[in-house]
Order: sequence, then structure tokens, then C-alpha cells
Amino acid sequence: MLNLLLQAAVDGILIGLVYAVMSVGLSLSMGILGVLNVSHSAFIMLGSFFALGMLVFLHLDPVIAFVLAVPLFFVVGAAVHRLLIRRVERAPATIGILILFGLMVVIETGGILAWTTDTRVLTTGYTNLHFALGPLTIGWVQVLAGLLALALTGAIYAFLRFTMNGRAILAMAQNRDAAAMLGMDTDRLAMIVFGIGIGAAGAGGVAIAMIFPFDPQDQIQWLSWAFLVVVLGGLGRVENTLLAGLVIGLIQSLAGTLLPFRYVYLILYLLLFAILVVRGEGLSGVRRRAL
Amino acid sequence: MSATAQVPAQGAAGLRVEAVVAGYYSGQTVLKGVTLDARPGQLTVVLGPNGAGKSTILRVLAGYLRPEAGRVLLDERDITRVPPHRRLDLGVAFLPQGRSVFPNLTVAQNVELGGWIHRRDHVRLRRAVETVYQRYPTVRQLRGRPAGSLSGGQQRSVEIARMMVADPSVILIDEPSAGLAPILADEIYQELAALKMEGRTILLVDQNVRAAVDIADYVYTLESGLNHLDGDRSRFEGDLGALIRGWLGVV
Repeated sequence: MLNLLLQAAVDGILIGLVYAVMSVGLSLSMGILGVLNVSHSAFIMLGSFFALGMLVFLHLDPVIAFVLAVPLFFVVGAAVHRLLIRRVERAPATIGILILFGLMVVIETGGILAWTTDTRVLTTGYTNLHFALGPLTIGWVQVLAGLLALALTGAIYAFLRFTMNGRAILAMAQNRDAAAMLGMDTDRLAMIVFGIGIGAAGAGGVAIAMIFPFDPQDQIQWLSWAFLVVVLGGLGRVENTLLAGLVIGLIQSLAGTLLPFRYVYLILYLLLFAILVVRGEGLSGVRRRAL
Repeated sequence: MSATAQVPAQGAAGLRVEAVVAGYYSGQTVLKGVTLDARPGQLTVVLGPNGAGKSTILRVLAGYLRPEAGRVLLDERDITRVPPHRRLDLGVAFLPQGRSVFPNLTVAQNVELGGWIHRRDHVRLRRAVETVYQRYPTVRQLRGRPAGSLSGGQQRSVEIARMMVADPSVILIDEPSAGLAPILADEIYQELAALKMEGRTILLVDQNVRAAVDIADYVYTLESGLNHLDGDRSRFEGDLGALIRGWLGVV
């Protein structure tokens, strides 16, 4: 029994790292830009198909696809910010949500047209390889996906925390006018933040595809998972998103070991409900700032 | 980055507002044709009752609000359409009303971000920050504290220190003493006078009429979005009471 729980914990942590990287962009765009990006998961889906295309057509390993996805989706995210978000930023929030919802539908429909609704899996040489760690059996893909996710999440954290650009972005989140009066091009910084978020979504999609089957239509479930992580962790803080991802991965894995699968969602959402009632906003208790 | 060199504080620039018409909603103009001159190296004060358009004129000067008509000139250069984040490059700094520190960053991080426009020149940035700490030793002592945990007066000091890292030649200030204890307010006005003595051009918008006129070289008053009176300090020193009573509607 103990071994079973330990196994579930390790699996939960590895999957939790992937949940974190998949969600961090949603947290950044909500917490720093005040933009509720409901199209976030559509970019996760695009990331999954990017990994598939790299593997099938170029025979590139998903690890390489993960690394390539970051700059590629950064550029895509920056372009979306420039062309869409900037125009609706000062409009009422509902307008922005509607437009981003529209973007999600367009991307999903495009995905269905391009790739049909068939379910896909990424199969590499090590997909079903495991190694033993004491009494535990651990899958190589889970380890690879988890480590890649951790590395990218850590890199985003370090960028925001330790570089002057990162601190300027945090400053902008706290007072956009004051940031501008100190000479910061807030439109450009916002574009970088959104680009990073979509970059992490695309790379997260690669990590998801390494572990789970995927199709163009199931992306919306990742949106609900990402929301769960973001609401649990609070907005705009990378370290809290990472923690929340791990918590959710653990709960899912432990609950799934001990209970029938249908209870997993119930437990997660009851937990979320309880935390919101007690703390007001997520684990961090960070107050939502008006932007 | 634009290639424009920063204007050194010594060669102070003059700022001129020419017949500016501006408002926040179309059809509702707050400024209906205001003309002001902030002369080089002088401290110019703008006074007026609530709703006269005092803060609005500063938002136009800082670039947050684009006027519907009229021009803003920095010396001879038309900067009406220069966005807010480009104005500090030209030597124009803005200290808005109310709190503007970044509350979740430390004082040191706040001050460092004051040198954002020098971020590519680390030596210069470090030197500018050090100069500011020498000038404001109390701010240096607060370096490790989150700016949001400071008192109102301390936050004001941090805001001024942060602004001075860029060594601006023109300073726009909106109600610097609002919400501060009188003794702290005195210190702020002394500091403004000191900044002027260094040759900087200062445009001060204030409700604290007496304190502002005390340090002013030249005074403008606005009423309902229009110029009302203007003149040297001496013209206003005598009958401030009557002026204020007039604004309050007490004749």
C-alpha cells in the first residue's frame, strides 16, 4: 500500500510539473496583463500537433520539439498580442473574452480541418520504456516531460525575478502608468509577457502530447485544468503556479489510486471551492489588482 | 531607443502649452484652450478650484492624454504626440498625484527602475542610483523594504528618489503634499525649491495654495478649463485669501 502511494506521489509530481508549465501563461496574462485568455488551450493543442508534425515529417524527437516550441510560440503569442489583444485591452473585459473565445474556436476548427478529429499519440523509441527506482516504476517520457516543464517554468521565474526586464514587467503589473512615466514601453513589455505565456502553452502542448493522447477538440479540457491551477495558485506568480500544478497533479494521482476516477474531479473542485472560500483567492492569497 | 540625447539638467528646457483643448470623453472638454509657459529653470505653479483642469493639463504634458487641439512644446520641439514612455528620454519627468511606487517591489528595485532609460549602460545606471542614495540617505536606509509597506511620506521620498535617477531637466508634479503631515509637506516643498536651484524647470500643480505660491516664480490660475490670472509670485502673495474664497464661492 505504501509503495502504491509512493508511486502515485511520484507520478503526480511529474504530471504536476507539466500542468504547471501548461498553466503558467494563463496565470501571467491574467495576473500581469488583466487579460483572461480563453484561447490559451488552443495554443496547447497547436503545441501538441507541432510535436506530432516534427516527429512524423522531420523525425525530430519531442524533446527537441519542446525546445523549438518556446521561441516559435513566443513569436505567435507576440503577434496575437500585437494584432488582437492591444486593440481590445482598453475595451470592457467581456469584449476581450468574446474575441479570444472566437480565436479559440477558429484555431480549434482549423485544427479539425487540418488534422481531423482522430485521436493521436506520439510514439518514440522510449515511449513505453520504464526504469525501476527501488520499488517504483517510472516512465522515461514522464521524467523527460516533467524535467523539461520544470526547466521552462524555472527559466520564466528567473527571467521575471532576476532581470531588469522582468522586474519592469512586475512593476507594470502593479502600476502601468507609473511604469510608462519611467520610460518603459508598456505595450512592448505586455507583448513579451503574452509571448512568454503562449510560448509556455505551446511547449506545454508538446509535453502533454508526450504523455497523453490528443485531438483538436479535447483542448478545452486543458483550459479547465489550467484554470484550476491558476485559481488555486493565484494570479501572476510563477512560483505559486508551479506549486498549484504540483498540488493538483498529486491530488489527481493519489485520488485516482485510491478512488474510482470519476471522484477525481469532484475532489479537485471541492478543494478549489474550499480554498476560495477560506483564502479569498488561491493559495497565495494575492489580491487581484485593478489594471 | 530613439537617438535623442538626454537634455542635461544644466541646460534646462522650457515647456510650453499652447491653446490646448482636451478631455477624457468626446464632447466633454476639460481644457478649453489653455496656454501656459514653464520657463527654463523656474518654478511655475498652476492653481485653481476643483475641476478647473489642473491635473488634466499635467496628464497632457506627461503624454497620457492626447489633446484634441493645441500643442505642447519642449523648447522649440513639438512633443504633443510623443508617447509617455518617450518623454523621460527628452528629460521630462512626471510625478503623479497619489501613490505611484511599485508596492510589491523593494525600495531598491523601485529606485533602480527609475534608471530604466539607462538600463543598457550598467555603469551609468549604478552611478546614477548611487548619486540618488547620497542625496536621499533616508531612502538608502529603506532599500530592502517592500515599497508598499512604507508610510505615505516615505513612499513620496522613494517616488522622488526614483524620479531623480533619470536626472530630468523638466519636472511635472501633481499635488506633492496631498495626504502628508504638514512637516513632511514642508520638506517636499523645500526639496522642490532645491531642485529648481539646480537649474531644473518645475511645473507644480497644487491645492496647497500658500505653500505653492511661497516657492513659485510664476503663477497661473485656471478656472473651468480656461486661463484666469497669471503673474509673478508678488502679484499673488497679497490676496491669496480672496482668491481661495472666490473659488469656494464665498464672496
